[in-house]
Formats: sequence, C-alpha cells, structure tokens
Amino acid sequence: MSADSTPRRPLSFLTATLRIFDIAVGQLLWSRRTVFMALAAGGPVVLALVLRALDASGVSALRVNGARVGGPVMFGGMIWLLYLRFVVPVLGAFYGTALVSDEVDDRTITYLFTRPIARGSIVVGKYLAYLACTVLVVLPSVMAAYVLLTPIGGGSIAETFPLLLADLGLLALGLAVYGAVFALIGASVPRPLVVSLILVFGWEQLALVVPGYLRQFTVAYYLQSLVPHAMPHDETMTAIQSLFSEPPSAPSSIFSLCLILVVALGFAAHALQTREYVLEQ
Amino acid sequence: MTEAAIVSTEHLSKWYGQVIGLNDVTLSVAGGVTGLLGPNGAGKSTLLKLITGQLKPSKGAVRVLGEPVWGNPAIYLRMGVCPEQDAFYDRMTGLEWLAALLRLQGYGEREAVAAGVAALEQVDLQEAANKRIGAYSKGMRQRVKLAQSIAHSPDLLILDEPLSGMDPLARRKTIRLLRTWAASGKNVIVSSHVLHEIEALTSNILLMHNGRVLAEGNVHQIRDLIDEHPHTVCIRSRHPRELARELVAHDDLLSLRFEDGAVYVQTARPDVFYARLTGMAAADPTGDIYEVTSPDDNLQAVFDYLVKS
Repeated sequence: MSADSTPRRPLSFLTATLRIFDIAVGQLLWSRRTVFMALAAGGPVVLALVLRALDASGVSALRVNGARVGGPVMFGGMIWLLYLRFVVPVLGAFYGTALVSDEVDDRTITYLFTRPIARGSIVVGKYLAYLACTVLVVLPSVMAAYVLLTPIGGGSIAETFPLLLADLGLLALGLAVYGAVFALIGASVPRPLVVSLILVFGWEQLALVVPGYLRQFTVAYYLQSLVPHAMPHDETMTAIQSLFSEPPSAPSSIFSLCLILVVALGFAAHALQTREYVLEQ
Repeated sequence: MTEAAIVSTEHLSKWYGQVIGLNDVTLSVAGGVTGLLGPNGAGKSTLLKLITGQLKPSKGAVRVLGEPVWGNPAIYLRMGVCPEQDAFYDRMTGLEWLAALLRLQGYGEREAVAAGVAALEQVDLQEAANKRIGAYSKGMRQRVKLAQSIAHSPDLLILDEPLSGMDPLARRKTIRLLRTWAASGKNVIVSSHVLHEIEALTSNILLMHNGRVLAEGNVHQIRDLIDEHPHTVCIRSRHPRELARELVAHDDLLSLRFEDGAVYVQTARPDVFYARLTGMAAADPTGDIYEVTSPDDNLQAVFDYLVKS
C-alpha cells in the first residue's frame, strides 16, 4: 500500500471496538482458560446425564422430605445453585479478569496501545468477545441440562419451556454483569483473579447472609431475585429462600444489574485509558 | 525545543517507585536516523516507552512530531513501534497478525492483507506469511515485529533493539531496509547496546547511561574508545565446532568458548569480525548461522571507562 492510501484518521470508538472484538474472539477461544470453560459448562451436563441415567434405571436420584424430586425442580435447583452461584461468577472471574491482565502479562498489550484507537475500546471489544464466547458455551450447556432433566418424574418440556427462556436470559445477564465487574478488576488491580475469587466466594457469600442492606452491594442478590424457579421445600432450602424473603422486583433488579454493568464497564474503559502499565522485561 | 525536532523532551524524568528510570532528560532529536546507545539499564527502553506513549512521565514533557504523546492515539497513525519484548499472539500466522493490527490502523480488510503482505516481503518473510508465529525462529520473530511497525508506512519509526537475535544476513538486510526507509525522508529512532549496529545505520547518536543522556552527536567521537575494549559476540550455528574452526583462523580473535550450544567469541576488531561473519553467512546458503547476539557487557565496559574518566 502506498503512503497516500494510508489512513490518516483514527478509528471511531465503535469501529475500534468491533475490530478488537474480531481479534479477541480467536484469542479467547484458544486461550489457556478454554479447558476450564469447557469443564465449567460441561460439568452440569454430566451431572444431568447421571441423574437421567439413574432415573432411567429406576433409582430415584433425589428425595426431599421423603418425596421424590421431579426433573423441573432439579433443573431449577441446578440453575439456582450451580449455574448462578458457581458457573457464571467463576467464568466471569476467570475470563473477565483475563481480558486486560493476560495482554499485560504476555506483554502483547504494547501492540494494541500503539494503535490509533481509544484504549477504552480495547477493554470493551474484549469484553464483547468474552460475552459472545461464554454465552455460546454456557447457554447450550443449560439447554442440554434442561432437556436431560425435565422429563424426569414426568415433567413436560412444552410446559416449562418459557421458564427455560427466562433462565437463559438470566444467565446471559449474569455473565454480562459479572464479566463487566471482573473486567474492571482486571484493568485496575494487580493479581485480579485472586481479588475476583475473594469477591465471589467471600464477599458475595457473606453479604448475602448478613441481615441488612449489604446484600444490595452484590450481583448475586439481584440475579437470584430473577430466578423463575421455586426451590423445593426442604428446611435448608427454605432457609436459603428466606434470605431472599424480600427480593427486589424484577424491573428493579434488571435496572440495578444494567447499571452495575454500564458503570463497571465504563470504569474499566476509563482505567485502561488513564492507567500506566509497566511491563516486566 | 526546536521547531524541526522529531522528538523533544524537557526535563523528562521517570521513576518506578524508588528507582529512577530516566533522570531530567532534555533533548531534541532531529529528523533522519538517530541511534540510542547505552548499556543495559541505561534508560534507553524507558525513554523509548515515554516517546511512544506507553509510559506517562513522572516529571517533564515529551512531544513527538510536534504533539504530546500520552493519551493521544492519533499520533500512532504517524508512528510505528517495534518493542523490545519477544511477545506475540503465537497462534496467529504472521499475515493474520499484521492484517489484524493494520485494521486497527484504519485499513479495510483487503487493504490490510495487501499492506501486510507488502510488509512481510520487505522483511523477507513472505514464505512464512501463513505459518504460525509460534513456530517462527527468534530471527523471524524479530522480523515480523519489525514488519508490523513499518506496515502502515509511518513517518517515525521507533525500534527497540531491532537487530537482536537476527542472523547476519537478516541483520544486513534489515540495516539496508532501515537506511532506505530513512533515505525516503522518514525518521527512525533505534536503540541498541551494540555500537556497531548503530554505526551501520547512522552516525547520529545519543549516548545514555544511568538514566541520563551522556552525549549527543557523532558516533565517530566515541568510536576509538570503543575499539580499545574487547567485544563479545554470541553466535548460534547448526555446526558450532566447524564455525569455531573457521573463526580461530583469524588474528582479530582474542578468545573463544562454547556455552549452552553457542559460540562466544571476543574480538578486538568488531567491524572486521562482523564483516567476515556476514560474508561467511552469505557464502553458506544453508543458513548455518542462525542467531547472532551481543551481550550487554561490551558497552558497559566502555561506559564505565567514560564515566570514570
């Protein structure tokens, strides 16, 4: 290309974001963490397969207060306890924190920082790539678990299908919000993964059981109020449910989650824009 | 700061916590090729990172092509950066990587591929264009890194130790490429800890030591001092013993040893030695010699001498 046809204007934020997205999708899918993502998303499917196999062999897999638990209830429990409390936040932590820190650790961020693009577009483009990858892996895993579990005990796929759609939307929103929060942590602090895991398994668990307003400073509080499934009436489960006896309304939760997402992503972009990254030689 | 300066700094300092990386540097770099010369830890990379906007000054100011650089992404339309670190997206091919970076420069899909191919041709990597970077040799990685910095035809090229790890032929070709680049009216700032590399590119140098610019000016002024000190060269070859046999036949060699599969030689006449090495590499089309590096201690000895005197 001749010098005359060399572009002389920087890319707009949106175009730069999309071009970073292009690069980042391939990087994410081939990153070291892919194996972990496959395990995290595949685990619930394997569990569902086991439960289905037990049911097919005539063994009642799960009983609460002596009563056999049906497939839809098992699926609801899986959404509540496995996906929402483990898979989604942990994937968010592993991938969200890596968006910037991997480039810094690998010292490849120089190539992106020395391009005529707003630095903020780097984190937004990578975040969108994270979202696309995790949604494409997690949601099929949820659907597979749903198809495997729902027929147990005579559950109807047709009747419960709207609940599945709500679950998929909820998990996508969860991945989006956790990803944004952890992208902010990844762009702002050293050792972001450790900080993120402390947030998921420390702060969020603690704040949810402490009476008062602290739970409002967790993502889980708003996400769990959107879970469409009723929990089985077991003492432990009821105790867990009672923690959410006064959950926020669905619109209020969705608004709060969107607000957290936008603010976290905005601060992540700002952090990248203004922070200086000193690379190890 | 002068009007025609490509890069100018005023009382520029950079601290890493308690450690001083660059100490109160005021300079003005004119157009053409400028060599930044100094031993390891002299502050060359810190200065280049400040010039390329990767670091924010702790104190003072830096302007590049008349503009401030920190937080000014538009400057990268006119600047190409070849960093020191050997870091890549290893799973991408050379061409994929260049095209992706060119798209961030504002190129369309096809133009990016075309400019990427052209840049790879310039560094003699066209045959490896579709090979994964992870499978490249050290020299090839250096060349693809150089290719990404020149691909968008910038007015100013900033190169941090670009010849390190290249084989003699690639080194010669790269020096020729950079000279042609400068002859076309473009500007280059290149750092090295090897005087002879810089000397092959330009006579205009900035001497750095302990975070300060010791001297600016003509390379020939310190040339004689350098020659008084033995120069160590590390050569990696597929047949190190045969190479050593060839080398010891000449009287400019002070010592020779084998270490980690490489041949380390000390020479009193680096110019003569490098010329002969390039000739040997050119005469052997099988590419027996595949990597030549020069340890930092060469220049350190000279700087110690300069500072003491």
